[in-house]
Amino acid sequence: MANNELALMAHLMRRAGFGATRDELDACVSLGYEATVEQLLHPESAPVMDEDLLRRYHIDQNSLMLIESSQAYWLYRIINTRRPLEEKMALFWHGLFATAYGKLNHAKAVVNQTNTFRRCGLGDFRTLLLELSRDPAMIFWLDNKDNHKDAPNENYGRELLELFSMGIGNYTEDDVKACARAFTGWTISNSDYMSIRASRDSIWPHGRLDWQFVYLPEDHDDSDKTFLGHTGPFNGQDVIDIICQQPATGWFVASKLYSFFVSDTPNEEAIQYLSDRFAETEGNILEVMRSLLLSDFFKGEEARLARVKSPTELVAGTARLAGSYQFPEWGIVNLAMDVSFMGQEILNPPTVEGWHTGREWIDTGNLVERVNSAALEMGDLARPGVQAALARVREAGDSLEPTEFVDVCLDALGLYDVTDATRESLVNHAARDGVLQFGERGAADCSDARVAEMLQLIVATREYQLA
Amino acid sequence: MTTTTLLQYSHTLGFMANQGRGFNNPVDLAINSRGIVHVLNRAGPEVGVRIAYKRITRCTPDEEYLGEFCTGGTGDGELWWPSALAFDDEDRLYVADEALNRISIYDQDGNYLDKWGAAGTGAGQFNRPSFIAFDRDYNLLVSDSLNHRVQKYTREGRFLSQWGEYGGGNGQFNMPWGLAVDSQGQVYVSDWRNDRIQKFDKNGAFVSAVGNSGREEGEFNRPSGLAVDLQGNIIVADWGNERVQILDNEGRFVASFRGDSRDSLWAQDYFAANPDEASARRAAHLEPEIESRPEYDAHRGYEWERSANVEKLFWGPTSVKVGPDGLVYVVDSLRHRIQIYRQTG
Repeated sequence: MANNELALMAHLMRRAGFGATRDELDACVSLGYEATVEQLLHPESAPVMDEDLLRRYHIDQNSLMLIESSQAYWLYRIINTRRPLEEKMALFWHGLFATAYGKLNHAKAVVNQTNTFRRCGLGDFRTLLLELSRDPAMIFWLDNKDNHKDAPNENYGRELLELFSMGIGNYTEDDVKACARAFTGWTISNSDYMSIRASRDSIWPHGRLDWQFVYLPEDHDDSDKTFLGHTGPFNGQDVIDIICQQPATGWFVASKLYSFFVSDTPNEEAIQYLSDRFAETEGNILEVMRSLLLSDFFKGEEARLARVKSPTELVAGTARLAGSYQFPEWGIVNLAMDVSFMGQEILNPPTVEGWHTGREWIDTGNLVERVNSAALEMGDLARPGVQAALARVREAGDSLEPTEFVDVCLDALGLYDVTDATRESLVNHAARDGVLQFGERGAADCSDARVAEMLQLIVATREYQLA
Repeated sequence: MTTTTLLQYSHTLGFMANQGRGFNNPVDLAINSRGIVHVLNRAGPEVGVRIAYKRITRCTPDEEYLGEFCTGGTGDGELWWPSALAFDDEDRLYVADEALNRISIYDQDGNYLDKWGAAGTGAGQFNRPSFIAFDRDYNLLVSDSLNHRVQKYTREGRFLSQWGEYGGGNGQFNMPWGLAVDSQGQVYVSDWRNDRIQKFDKNGAFVSAVGNSGREEGEFNRPSGLAVDLQGNIIVADWGNERVQILDNEGRFVASFRGDSRDSLWAQDYFAANPDEASARRAAHLEPEIESRPEYDAHRGYEWERSANVEKLFWGPTSVKVGPDGLVYVVDSLRHRIQIYRQTG
């Protein structure tokens, strides 16, 4: 039967990370819920992943020139990170501040942006917006390199207000124009040359050259602007200060965090609570996240399995469970492509609005992809995580009735919140071949295969598709 | 023109091309008895059309393109994670592959001849063979990286001997990469994750070790390929520090350099055919000062970031070879080119 502490910890690790192995869950339970939350909130206390091995064997992941290589690189990081919330925050901000390789033709620039999310993703929101506004990938993506003193381009200014901070209905068209003028002169070095190169993906004579932010004071409009009721010779930094003081900004960030970390179904009371925390802490994301992860609305039963896993969560979580790709292997790029085939091409979101999440992750086509991908990983008895699950089943006894067999397999995968109907289906399947026996050599081999099959069935359940 | 104590930049060979004239993530080169340079293109990732970008390119040191052979794949004669090249005394080309755990052999026209090796830890087996070099008797030495050893084979693939095991002591290895043999037959190994160079006699007995982890002179950050010149100087691709270091034959630091590349003839042709890009390039500042930031050290390091920004610098140097004419070739893998230096000392 479900162990409440383990079930709660499994929920925490699915949301604040990408799932945990059964051994990791045991360690977290020993540590305690609040201490585990603190550990997650302080990724700097865990070691940085060594990248030298990855760079040596995956030469394409050393330069990060190509999109497939960069996607594989990020997936490898997510699978192997000792800092799960850092990667989860990076994925969250990547979905919110969606910047796509497709226009940039420069994967490393988008990877650099995700590094900013790792560095600032649990800091204060003002700093994050400032870094984002100076981020070369964002400057290129939303045309701020074309935002000149004498010829403003509103693209970044508009999206900063609409999609990145306040949401539509909380500002006027005049505010958009003033915001854009405040960011004139915020550009990248060698922008003409880089624009030509980005437009020609066929040949890059020496590979990509990185981009750097530059501020050109001679191209900045330093005249007075009226923005959200304030007037002055505002620069981008001033505009961000004003944005961060708006109640709408706190609500906006809180609602995005709620939907990513808590539930696909909005809860106004919970969002208001998080919005208040945002205001009280002057936009400190770490404090807002601590409040979220310790809240009853997060820990409660109604939040369990209340979100559809994104493709990245599903694939990376399964790989972590199976113990796959703990060392650089060439197949990781195919796993990353699985994520794309399921509808989430990381580092290359479809639009500036990011991905449509929740139930939209699943349609008849990609549900098959999701089930097949997870079942393929979990059915491989050579995987260390599958071996660990098998060992747990063997430890449960030489002879297991179908109900015991199913329960110990669910426990081995840390999936506790399955419905009675799902459990019954699994038990019915297990009962077809009777009692699971590990006694004799032939029976043990057969039973190993039955365990692998049961693990595959479990990752094919409706509940496994949910976080 | 930049000079060092011993080397002076001469010119650059190649530019990026997925197929045909150019390179795609070159990792090693070898020069046959006729002076023809063979460049091994690793060209990841292993998906779709990109698999065909793996190949061996033939050209002259002065940039005449002579053709290419091989392609990506797992069948006989094909490449998956090709890592190193070496010619025997009859101009047969040996190619190591880290994914397929085998050595493939081609004739001087690029026709596939044979293969040997398999995955494993026993004699005659490999776990990611990263580099190969012939010794003075034309036996093939293989740095068997994840088995932490060096193996010696006849040209026909018969196992002769091995040395090394995992560890940090004398004669032990942590994922060895580059191999080189000097005129006396002594063997030099880049002990990659121990950040040092070890020297052995021709039978594999430990002689000496130099270097330790760091960025200072004589220190290393994951050394990759290396070569020994006619004077006995050891020229090391200090991969993680994005530089090449020269040590004398006693292992003392002599010089280091970060790269000096200018456009190769092939690149010049490209820009001549794309004048708008050439014009914008001339107006661009291609040698920016890159400030050091804490996040760089937390990630891949300042020098890696600097190389990502400054085009002339080495970026991911994987191999160094000394040609019969004394030219020193540095395989500049992430910039898809070979930087060539003349010896002046």
